[in-house]
Amino acid sequence: MTNYLEVKNLSKSFDHFQLHNITFTLPKGYIMGLIGPNGSGKTTTIKLILNMLKRDGGEIKIIGMDNIADEQKAKAQLGVVFDTNYFSDEWKAAEAGKSISAFYPNWNPERFAKMLRKFHIAPEKKVKELSKGMQMKLMLACAFSYDAKLLILDEPTSGLDPVSRDELLQILSEYIEDGEHSVLFSTHITGDLERAADYITYISYGELFFSGSKDEFVDMFRIIKGGIKELSANLRSKAVGVRTFPTGFEALVKAEDTGAFAALDIEPASIDEIVVFTSRKEEAYE
Amino acid sequence: MSNILKAAKLDFSLVKPYSKVIGFTMLLPIAFAAVNRSILTGVSFAMCFIAMTTGYTFSVTEKNSMERLYGILPVKKSEMVIGRYLFVAALGAIALAVSLITQPIVLRALGENVALFDMISAAIGGLFLFALYTVFQIPGYYKFGSIKGRVFLYIPVAGFLVTLFLLPKLPAGTPMIHAIASSPALLIVFAIVLAAVMYAVSIWFSVRIMKKKEM
Amino acid sequence: MKLIISNVSGVPIYEQIKQQVKDAILSGEVKEGEALPSLRTLAKDLKISVLTVTRAYTELEQEGFVKNVQGRGCFVLGRGSELMKEQLICKVENSLTEAIKAAKIANLSDEELHHLLDILLEANIDD
Repeated sequence: MTNYLEVKNLSKSFDHFQLHNITFTLPKGYIMGLIGPNGSGKTTTIKLILNMLKRDGGEIKIIGMDNIADEQKAKAQLGVVFDTNYFSDEWKAAEAGKSISAFYPNWNPERFAKMLRKFHIAPEKKVKELSKGMQMKLMLACAFSYDAKLLILDEPTSGLDPVSRDELLQILSEYIEDGEHSVLFSTHITGDLERAADYITYISYGELFFSGSKDEFVDMFRIIKGGIKELSANLRSKAVGVRTFPTGFEALVKAEDTGAFAALDIEPASIDEIVVFTSRKEEAYE
Repeated sequence: MSNILKAAKLDFSLVKPYSKVIGFTMLLPIAFAAVNRSILTGVSFAMCFIAMTTGYTFSVTEKNSMERLYGILPVKKSEMVIGRYLFVAALGAIALAVSLITQPIVLRALGENVALFDMISAAIGGLFLFALYTVFQIPGYYKFGSIKGRVFLYIPVAGFLVTLFLLPKLPAGTPMIHAIASSPALLIVFAIVLAAVMYAVSIWFSVRIMKKKEM
Repeated sequence: MKLIISNVSGVPIYEQIKQQVKDAILSGEVKEGEALPSLRTLAKDLKISVLTVTRAYTELEQEGFVKNVQGRGCFVLGRGSELMKEQLICKVENSLTEAIKAAKIANLSDEELHHLLDILLEANIDD
């Protein structure tokens, strides 16, 4: 299986934050969600992949090419969407594509025109007149016009309405359908990923918490619920995270540890619940 | 098309929305030439003004956080930087051409006689001023951004004042200065070599600043 | 073949797909040799992960319902296949066990139960 993105032992230090030994692999043909609370290092990781930040240690390969030694070659195959657009807001939509087209040997002007039509972007509209969802689709239209093999999206859904978010997921599923394209997608709105992502990489406060298939990730944990008296010391010690409230408790427990608590209400955990419970140890709501 | 040319072209599309302002900047010095009845004044003003408009590329990229676009395009940072110098040089060349065409027409209409020698010396003087402004300004913009970087515009001005102040105190008679000053050909060569060296140093600084910068 | 995904059932998505495909095969709705929807297209249409569909199809293959032909797709195996027969027998056993349980509750004797089965078998001959 070919890997479209390989990140190995990636590290970067700032004054008040440290990204430490991040390792993950995204195979060709799949969608990976990069998740974690705000400030956990998602954007730092993406900027390191793009060599916009200089890494302190580790190795990154984009479609088999080193992200620094072969930076230009790798970037010609790479499409990127940031949370806000990176075009001049005075450009018309068609101009935005034209302005960057020369840099991509594979740029196909007909395809760009087709993409604008498909996404309902008026070519004559200025970038600043487009809605946030439209601006995101303009970035995607550009990436598709040079047939980017790997798409990296940094918080693309923040500030988008549910309709645009759903459209994005639809676009991404279509993009990987032929098995020749991959997507790395960072978000703190994990609902977006609940269904569409194949792989999850979860970074928490600069450390890698998990990287692997989404089903495996979700299957690692269960949510146990019960009355406050049923929260035994044993359960407390086994729990990854607990939330108590006057009428009961919710605890996130590793799937293999649930055996002893079969009498209680055990449910599958959502990605959101896993992130929330693993990011704060215990917090009581009085 | 090389990446440097593409980068310069991208800069042109960046300032396209400002083309009216830039066009006005190119034509305004005709008035200065007319008032002073001198093409040297007109061209000098034209080149100083156009040097200031090169800041548009930096303010537009900053306003739209376009360093992110530069971060994802398949171009080397050095190519992006040299492309910007090429864009600036092209803008300067256009301004010079416009001045050298329009100003003599206006001056002659006013009854002035514009000799070829006047035009050549105005061109050389204007280009040298332009080079002097831009070589300090561009690394300043790269390092400190489009607002704080503007301070670098005053370095050449300060330089003039210092030169004017020091000029009478210099031992006037050094044979080299004398030889250069007395021969127009040598003066031209000297100006060209000096400008080339200044641009090389300026580009070197700008590339270094951009390579070190994290976005 | 109808394939729908419930988000609230608590049953994992791959399990839901597996079950619905199995039902369609066992009921004869999908015939031997027919191809299942392409893995990636199904993932796109249902807006679910490719890996989830892969898992459902892989397990269906392990249980003998389908055969994955590299690069061509997933094909339904004949009901004659050993594993499929086992599955079918298992289903019969389960239903009969249910019937026996119900018979006990209804206080039916073993003979009465046998008799009932004979009657039902005769009534179903025409089908």
